Amino acid sequence: MTTSIGIDVGSGVIKTVLFQTEGDTHRWLARRDLRIRQNDRFELIAESVEAVLAETGLRREAVDYIATTGEGENVRDATGHFYSMTTHARGAIYLNPEARAVLDIGALNGRAIRIDAQGKVLNYRMTSQCASGSGQFLENISRYLGISQDEIGELSRQSTNPEKVSGICAVLAETDVINMVSRSIPPSDILRGIHESMAGRLIKLLKAIGVVQGVVMMTGGLALDSGLVKAMQDGMDEQKMATRIATHPDSLYAGAIGAAIWGAFRYHKLKEKGQLPKAS
Amino acid sequence: MATKSVKQIVDFCQEIYADLDFTRARQWKEAEPGRKVIGYMPVYVPREIIHAAGMLPLGILGGGADMEVIHGDAYYQSYICRIPRSTIDLAITGKLDFVDGMLFPSICDVIRNLTGIWQLMFKEKYVRYFDTPQNFRDEIGGRFYAHELGELRADLEELAGRKISDAQLNRSIAVYNENREWVNRVYDYRSATPWKAPAFEVYLLMRAGMVLPPEEHSALLRDYLAAAEAEDRPLRDNCRVVMTGSFCEQPPLNLIKSIELAGCYIVDDDFMLVNRWLLEEVPTDGDPLANLCRAFLHHSAETAAKYEADMEKKGSYLLGLIEKRGAEGVIFAAPSFCDPALLDQPMIVRRVAERNIPYITMQYAENSGQMQPIREQAGTFADSIKLWSAS
Repeated sequence: MTTSIGIDVGSGVIKTVLFQTEGDTHRWLARRDLRIRQNDRFELIAESVEAVLAETGLRREAVDYIATTGEGENVRDATGHFYSMTTHARGAIYLNPEARAVLDIGALNGRAIRIDAQGKVLNYRMTSQCASGSGQFLENISRYLGISQDEIGELSRQSTNPEKVSGICAVLAETDVINMVSRSIPPSDILRGIHESMAGRLIKLLKAIGVVQGVVMMTGGLALDSGLVKAMQDGMDEQKMATRIATHPDSLYAGAIGAAIWGAFRYHKLKEKGQLPKAS
Repeated sequence: MATKSVKQIVDFCQEIYADLDFTRARQWKEAEPGRKVIGYMPVYVPREIIHAAGMLPLGILGGGADMEVIHGDAYYQSYICRIPRSTIDLAITGKLDFVDGMLFPSICDVIRNLTGIWQLMFKEKYVRYFDTPQNFRDEIGGRFYAHELGELRADLEELAGRKISDAQLNRSIAVYNENREWVNRVYDYRSATPWKAPAFEVYLLMRAGMVLPPEEHSALLRDYLAAAEAEDRPLRDNCRVVMTGSFCEQPPLNLIKSIELAGCYIVDDDFMLVNRWLLEEVPTDGDPLANLCRAFLHHSAETAAKYEADMEKKGSYLLGLIEKRGAEGVIFAAPSFCDPALLDQPMIVRRVAERNIPYITMQYAENSGQMQPIREQAGTFADSIKLWSAS
């Protein structure tokens, strides 16, 4: 049995999971997510590792592989690092084995990934540098509208007359939204307009990498935004794509899950070759 | 036991790397009246002859990431690489005013043309296009190269105002033999324990060798090996790659760091190849120029700047490195608009691909600033090797 920890260092949140792997069976034993805000990332990472160890009653020495992903390249105690596309792909397969594409939308950018049944990345495309398709943008909008982030999805789903928002630039879109607020447009219509704009961009990414059918798994922080999920499915239906959008209550952890599973895989591979890193 | 820490050594090298005024070389020159400094560009010049003349060979590798090129753009078209343009800026802004002579080796047309530009700009300075043979038979290329070396010796004698004896040359050959030995030890050490000698540190160490006298550089390399061994650094589960194509214009330091952070241990490279161009020890007795000549013809590294008539041998040097270093993949990193590297690349890629060795290609300029695409490319490459390769 292999014990591995996966740490996904995002721009806004650090997600940490602890897995035990026996053959093809992966048991998820502990999780922790910590918002970064103004805190020191490395301290938060250490805190989250301690937390998952405490939750399982394991000692650090019992962990075979600590894998980082996202912005976690510099974590000193990590055994190895995997690129976030690789880990989100594997995490998506863990959460939904039918997934053949992943939409990973985090605080700063979004990424569409086409994968095979093993979680191998076949093609990918990222949003441009503009943040208008990201979680940070939505967080700003919720502040302008005076609502909490948890309310965004439900409000968007109640919209009856969505208002169009610039899909090109976050600065323009934020200006649009401020104008809408002053014109007394209901928050639900503003939010749905934003979700439609984001969905349009993300669907373009999916098409660009050749995703036209099958399950598209949403991962990252925005996978929990039911308004965006609905806008995505509606957009795909409108464009007559044979794709089905899927999400999971644990989508936030997809990167960390993938890192932990790939970490366990690497541990076995290195063990077979007699090349285990000292940190293991 | 280490007398200096890795941090002290790397900080010292970083200071040399960032100093576009070449303060260390200026200090060396000012330390004794009559000292002279000879600049040289990539890929190879026989530094032994400069050293034997009592002069300091100074490697000029362009202006790097932080220098704004203003004047250089007026001399070269926009589809030319950046190193000649930033080198012109170095000169025009007075950063090379203490340099008494410049050698431009035969690496490509652009650098050859820089010889002419230099001759027009700095009429009072010694400037030489240092030609190297593309025929490696002793009676043809050897004869030509021996003559070239003889002319360089005579030129430097005139500049120094004294003869360069065979004994002095043989002593300098011994100094560089020792320096190459330390350089090779550092490369061997990094390959054996890449987590203890990160690529950017080794790069900075080798860069320091462009400015420091060889004796001082050898001592620095010796100190680094002791310090690195004493340092406690964790081994990471990274893949092992050879980086190739960067033998002239240098990649920004951040690119090297990004590749390693993304999960690739760089276990060999062709940065500053002059440090280990000659693959075997050069004899320190007999005719020194004949010995240097034979070493160049028969025991020197392979780059795009050297003609290889036999297509089946093309890339053999790289394949040898991959095997020797136990590398799992290759990163072909060439400067934008570098004719030699980019024209050579398909031929070498073919040989690598034939052996099913994973590889990626990327381009850079010495002032490339956006590292996200590099991290992405190197990160996915490392993952593909670690997770999907047969080994």
